Amino acid sequence: MSALVEAVDLHKKYQKGSAEVAALRGVSFAIAAGEFVALVGRSGSGKSTLLNIIGGLDTPSSGTLRVGGSDLAAMDRELLARHRRSTVGMIFQSFNLIPSRTALENVALPMIFAGLERSVRSRRAAELLDLVGLERRHTHKPAELSGGEAQRVAIARALANDPAILLADEPTGNLDSHTAADILDLLEHLNRERTLTILMVTHDQHSAIRLSHRLLHMLDGTITGEESGGRRL
Amino acid sequence: MKSSDLFRFSLDNLRRTRLRTTLTTLGVIIGIGALVAMVSFGTGMQRNITEAFTANDLFTTLRVLPVRMDIEQMMAGNLDGAMSGMQKRTRALNDTAVALIAAFPEVAIVFPEVTFPVKIRFGGQEASTTLRSLPVAMGGFAPYDRMGWGSFFSSDSAAEAILSYGILARLKLTLAGAGERSPADTSRTWRSVEADSLIGAEMEVITSVLDLRRVMSGGLSADGQPPFAEHVTRLRVAGIRPKPHAFSNEQVQGGIVVPLQTGRKMPRFAFTSMWSMLNHGGRTDGTYDALYVRLKKLQDLPAVRRRLQELGFSVFALADQLEEIKRGFLMVDTALGAIGTIALIVAALGIINTMVMSILERTREIGVMKAVGASERQIKTIFFFEAGCIGLLGGILGVLLGWLVSRLANWIANLWTLRQGGGGEIEFFYLTPWLIAGSILFAVAVSLAAGYYPATRAARINPVEALRHD
Repeated sequence: MSALVEAVDLHKKYQKGSAEVAALRGVSFAIAAGEFVALVGRSGSGKSTLLNIIGGLDTPSSGTLRVGGSDLAAMDRELLARHRRSTVGMIFQSFNLIPSRTALENVALPMIFAGLERSVRSRRAAELLDLVGLERRHTHKPAELSGGEAQRVAIARALANDPAILLADEPTGNLDSHTAADILDLLEHLNRERTLTILMVTHDQHSAIRLSHRLLHMLDGTITGEESGGRRL
Repeated sequence: MKSSDLFRFSLDNLRRTRLRTTLTTLGVIIGIGALVAMVSFGTGMQRNITEAFTANDLFTTLRVLPVRMDIEQMMAGNLDGAMSGMQKRTRALNDTAVALIAAFPEVAIVFPEVTFPVKIRFGGQEASTTLRSLPVAMGGFAPYDRMGWGSFFSSDSAAEAILSYGILARLKLTLAGAGERSPADTSRTWRSVEADSLIGAEMEVITSVLDLRRVMSGGLSADGQPPFAEHVTRLRVAGIRPKPHAFSNEQVQGGIVVPLQTGRKMPRFAFTSMWSMLNHGGRTDGTYDALYVRLKKLQDLPAVRRRLQELGFSVFALADQLEEIKRGFLMVDTALGAIGTIALIVAALGIINTMVMSILERTREIGVMKAVGASERQIKTIFFFEAGCIGLLGGILGVLLGWLVSRLANWIANLWTLRQGGGGEIEFFYLTPWLIAGSILFAVAVSLAAGYYPATRAARINPVEALRHD
């Protein structure tokens, strides 16, 4: 079975003032289609950097990274934009919704950049909001939504262009434990029912074990260990 | 990304910062308004003058003068040199010269210019003005082919006169039913008359002549009176010229026209100026100050001018003057346009400022858009579009503002000229379709140029940093 994501010896160096900081120091791993992988580790271990690189928001300094068969290192900025638009969906700790736009408009946003018709966009955005359980929140602005609802909108938006993989960066970091559990259940549901591949960065080792098929441990820019999660493929 | 979505997206963004968008657009409106008002004023003035020239057929008109004395040599005390230079090349402007020029196939009409200052007395009022003498044949040429009332002269020596429209006001006459507003100054004793009642009426033309008795009895200061006497010629009003074009000479000068021979025979002080005295020393030897030549075709002007110069005449074409005036107007237009452009550059800086501010505010939003798949080109286009919308809206409203300003200025200027007793309403501004389209395009172009840097900057925002941004 070919890997959906395949990283070989990824390095990432930052210039921070005059000092050079190595965020990734030779990371290699693979994720198969349909997997739910949790990436755990302390702050500053390079988890988010790795996620951003897979998401095409950042580029590796060296190494190879193939997502869905394409080599990201060989992509120019235009191709990276296309990668973000159609291959991956991302959600963040702070939701990153556009405050001035309604839930429906936020979900439709990626489809605007993908060039879909307005009617198609509205219909699909409404379906996605229904899918994440926000049937009654279509026309609400982010400020009128609870944290859990906002993250659901963000999940719906990440699914807008039918991505091959969902990248989740601490998706429950801003939520209370009850709401967090709901969001994690939603992610598990999407993984199970829609066979959506998920790579989730989290601090919460307990939930990670419960939901995922596999856990990757990171420390100081390298993957230090791998263990099986509570679920089986 | 579809352009309709782009448009909606940009408009949404503009609407969200309504106050700032309004103020920025106002900058463009004022810039374009200034540009439009100023350039349309320049164009309007130029058009008025060109029309006045065309209406009076001045383009095909030449004045032939004797070769002038070399003033510089004369000033330097070298009178002999000046005179000899003159005698070598000069050809007298006499009836022989008239016949010579009349034989040119390109010439439609030629006659000596007999013009001098007179006083006229009519209906109990007196006015100082200029008398021009024209041959009866001139009745077939513009602008004399059209009379307002009455008719042209019956012969070259008839005791007749034609009044200009402008002189009527100086004689405190208004024509009933001529659509004229009554002057604001009612303290003067104006009379409203039927134009037809003036035709055939008698008028007096008063010229100054040297009073020989006074000269004999001791010259200028014998009794403190200058040695002049008045001579009165009685003429019948044959016609009245139509209301002149707003910018023609007659608007200012008025004046009367008499048949050529009638004018020539009128006794008068022999020279009308120091210039004519210097040129013919006051001789009455059958020479003229100038000849008036009208050509059949405008294209013949350079050739005729060259031949006349070769014959030893000095030639003055009014068309040259128009070229000079046009050059002047081009400079005025450029200066006015430059002022408008400066206003627009200030507006452009406003656009740059607004958009840079807006990018700072929307950094995180731009990061989000990039994260969900917006390409650099799409981000750039969105910001470009916003700048373009400001330019388009500012351009359209700016043209409107410019038009309103020009209407207001025109109204005020006309109030003022009417109070001065001038003729009809004058259109000072001329807004061409080209100016309208050009101004709007210019506004859009300037706004897009102003949007270039902010748009590029927005497109280059690093999404990772932008998403961390608060």
